[in-house]
Amino acid sequence: MRIGVFICKCGTNIAATVDTEAVARKALEYPDVVYATDYMYTCSEPGQDEIQQAIEEHDLQGVVVAACSPRMHEVTFRRAVEKAGLNRYMFEQANIREHCSWISKDTEANTRKAIDLVRMSVEKLRFNHPLFSSQVPINKRVLVIGGGISGIQAALDCAEGGLDVVMVERESTIGGKMAKLDKTFPTIDCSACILGPKMVDVAQHENIHLYAYSEIESVSGYMGNFKVDIRKKATYVDWDACTGCGLCTEKCPAKKSFDGFNEGLDTTTAINISFPQAIPKRAKIDPKYCWYLTKEKCKICQKICPVDAIRFDMKDETVVEEVGAIIVATGFDLVDHSVYGEYGGGHYPDVITGLQFERLVSASGPYEGHIIRPSDGKEPKNIVFIACVGSRDPSIGRPYCSGICCMYIAKQAILARDHIPDSNCYVFYIDIRAPGKNYEEFVRRAQEDYGVQYIRGRVGKIYPQGEHLIVQGIDTLLGIQVEVEADLVVLATGVAASVGAKELAEKLRISYDEYGFYMESHPKLRPVETNTAGVFLAGVCQGPKDIPASVAQGSAAAAKTQILFSRDTIETDPQIAKVNERMCIGCGKCIDVCPFGSIQWKTLRDGSQKAEVLDTVCQGCGLCNATCPPKAIQLQHCTDDQILAEIEVLCAGERHG
Amino acid sequence: MEDKTKTLQREFLKVFEKLEVVLGWEPGYDSLHATPSFIRQAKDLNKLVWNPLCSQNLCTYLVKTLNASVRKDDKKIGICVKGCDSRSLVALIQEKFITRETFYIVGIPCEGTVDWRRLMRIEPSLKDVQKVDIQGNELEVETAQKTYRFPLQQVLEQRCLHCRYPNPIIYDCLIGEPITPHIGDDQAYGDIEKIEQYSLPDRLKFWEKELDRCIRCYACRNACPLCVCRDSCIAETRTPKWLSQRCDLKEKFFYHMIHAIHLAGRCTECGECERVCPMEIPVTLIKKKLNQIVKDLLDYEAGIDPQKQPPLLTFDPGEKGI
Repeated sequence: MRIGVFICKCGTNIAATVDTEAVARKALEYPDVVYATDYMYTCSEPGQDEIQQAIEEHDLQGVVVAACSPRMHEVTFRRAVEKAGLNRYMFEQANIREHCSWISKDTEANTRKAIDLVRMSVEKLRFNHPLFSSQVPINKRVLVIGGGISGIQAALDCAEGGLDVVMVERESTIGGKMAKLDKTFPTIDCSACILGPKMVDVAQHENIHLYAYSEIESVSGYMGNFKVDIRKKATYVDWDACTGCGLCTEKCPAKKSFDGFNEGLDTTTAINISFPQAIPKRAKIDPKYCWYLTKEKCKICQKICPVDAIRFDMKDETVVEEVGAIIVATGFDLVDHSVYGEYGGGHYPDVITGLQFERLVSASGPYEGHIIRPSDGKEPKNIVFIACVGSRDPSIGRPYCSGICCMYIAKQAILARDHIPDSNCYVFYIDIRAPGKNYEEFVRRAQEDYGVQYIRGRVGKIYPQGEHLIVQGIDTLLGIQVEVEADLVVLATGVAASVGAKELAEKLRISYDEYGFYMESHPKLRPVETNTAGVFLAGVCQGPKDIPASVAQGSAAAAKTQILFSRDTIETDPQIAKVNERMCIGCGKCIDVCPFGSIQWKTLRDGSQKAEVLDTVCQGCGLCNATCPPKAIQLQHCTDDQILAEIEVLCAGERHG
Repeated sequence: MEDKTKTLQREFLKVFEKLEVVLGWEPGYDSLHATPSFIRQAKDLNKLVWNPLCSQNLCTYLVKTLNASVRKDDKKIGICVKGCDSRSLVALIQEKFITRETFYIVGIPCEGTVDWRRLMRIEPSLKDVQKVDIQGNELEVETAQKTYRFPLQQVLEQRCLHCRYPNPIIYDCLIGEPITPHIGDDQAYGDIEKIEQYSLPDRLKFWEKELDRCIRCYACRNACPLCVCRDSCIAETRTPKWLSQRCDLKEKFFYHMIHAIHLAGRCTECGECERVCPMEIPVTLIKKKLNQIVKDLLDYEAGIDPQKQPPLLTFDPGEKGI
């Protein structure tokens, strides 16, 4: 083989602590290496040109580039060598930046390590052989998981583009958290008025099929061809018959049911419709509270239903959908503030969460938009807002900023002053984070036009005294202790990953961070993609963000889906595992360990059982190879012989050096 | 009480028409050896014996020789198992090489088997042996001339001295009464702990000395009931080329590490590898060490529960312990 080696200086990123010229000189001594050089930016256009020229001039059959991580530019260089007529897999990249120049300032040691890394890559390349992809058709349907604003936007954009969309929503209505909000910052426009039409669009769009009150059971397959099992949870109401008239909810005697939509501020009936604008507007029975389902007596809803839609014998049902891409928009939940004993640990009825305040002030909420205290129904005169509850607090394991709370408490304080003009509003804050368009001005308006008193400092304690709550805090600007006799305390509860986010991630085979937010493929350059091809992210499931950002990301995910679907077929990755049937002993261990279910049994003509890899499902992770006792299953791009050859030269180098 | 050999023959005779073959032991080439026996005709059943010389783990033949997973008719395979052998049988069932229904298992609670090499070292003149039996804490060897008695500790195989499972885990028919193990669970890894007291350089020296004696005959591999790669063993393949055929310490070391790693979480500690080693290298110790690690990390012992999935042969993203 004729091999060319290209050492990148990466400006000073590599050259500052690695003698790239020496590395190139040394590379010329290796077997099969006929050309070696260093260059300022190998990934740049002239850099790639140089590789292509060298391939032609020196008749190269394989190329090693020593530069950054292959995660950064492997694709770039593969494309470059392919353009020059080589097979794209006759290329190896040695990482002498992240693995070498960036970790130490010792030029001599770094250079030595870079030499070793290049030596190993050359040795691996010597065992490379051309690999070829095949083409598989794409199923141009998309699954959107989550029916919040981000999922709605993604679904509508995909549907408008002509794609078939399957939307799965865990709750009985779409709308997500935004449906619970009263107004939105910084324009104070009515949340329901801007969200409502979009929800209706989802229901009416002929390209969208909505599974509400359903959850993802399992996902198999791969980009272009996923198979998804969806569990439709029992609603005990035949939704094909139900018209959403609501007669049943008026007569249901089980009136003490938990009202999730109103954040527990109110109770509802066992058979209920979440809110008047619910999509789909269908009734469901909460089996935990229904008298018939718990005590076998009642059946009033069945008697009263004009269309005979009640089905007490309904069971969960699983349906299978086949899609080519998946957009995950599962949103968030609030941090549980009961961990803060100093704020009452959730025991004071007049210490409420930000979302509870939204329901309080919403015209469709339990008090029809009148701000009153949950405990006694009196109108509060002194309202205290506390920022960063469950955000920026390493002591409860949440060091991150939730990003939206500064803004929503400014909005809520404005609304409170609007609804009760003679009220006093106090905001305890650490810093004000208002980096969005018109956000800083909005906070200023709260302070200056609405007279909301901002106190920089934390609240140390809240305790009840008579009818009031005493809020003890500190004003760090004045350096004094502050005590407010409050009637209502609103905690700016932070953003936490959605309940069940990790379980879903495992079904989708995507990764999540330590807080349960899904990991994007690259924090800057691939914010919508995941590391599982064909699975995209939208909204807060990826990390805290506000409505405009969630909507933008929903559209971005839809665009990524459209890009994927703009082709009729996708190329399979040939960097996968393959079974040598003559060596396979048919033990089946590879089948047991494969995380992707990509290995199956194959019966040969003599009746013997062998393992067989499904090309399109295999992700090339190599667990099967590590498990296979006779090593009959090999990764095509990283064979045992290649790894052994790398180790061999590395150890030999150490002995001589 | 009836002789266990007689009971064994009688039990197999009762069901013989349903069996294709019976795996047991018969007298070997001299009076201190038993040898595996494959009986296909009822008249040969009287060859079968059971005594403390019946060392071989007959499960070794199931995958490699009999290809027991492929059955032509519904006839079963009859097999005799000691406690340790039964664990190998369970492990093979767990790994789906064989199915439980294919077997008629005669289990024999075992007091231990004799290491003839140790015996001959104590009494080199031993010959014309007529009967070998365990009586209490002693091995009784009857020759034409006299009866010898040896303390069990001095003549049993190493594996038997640390045996925690003298009673078969699964069986269709049990010969004799279950017995109490010689040692408790807490002493299970006593032999490893002894070596771990050495300093690291001393430990390396110990293993270099031991493994340098290896002649790469692969007897340890061939006798292992769970070494199932047959002709594809990577000790001998050219692609991938893990090992060269050179007989130096590095390659020997590497070979034994591969053997041990392939048995991590699978080895049932039957000790066959060590018993058959012509150079008497304590190779079981390496496998036991890995078993100890698997037990500590994953709370798993191979060959105990036929229903359980071996932890290293599964994919669990929520894996605890690692």
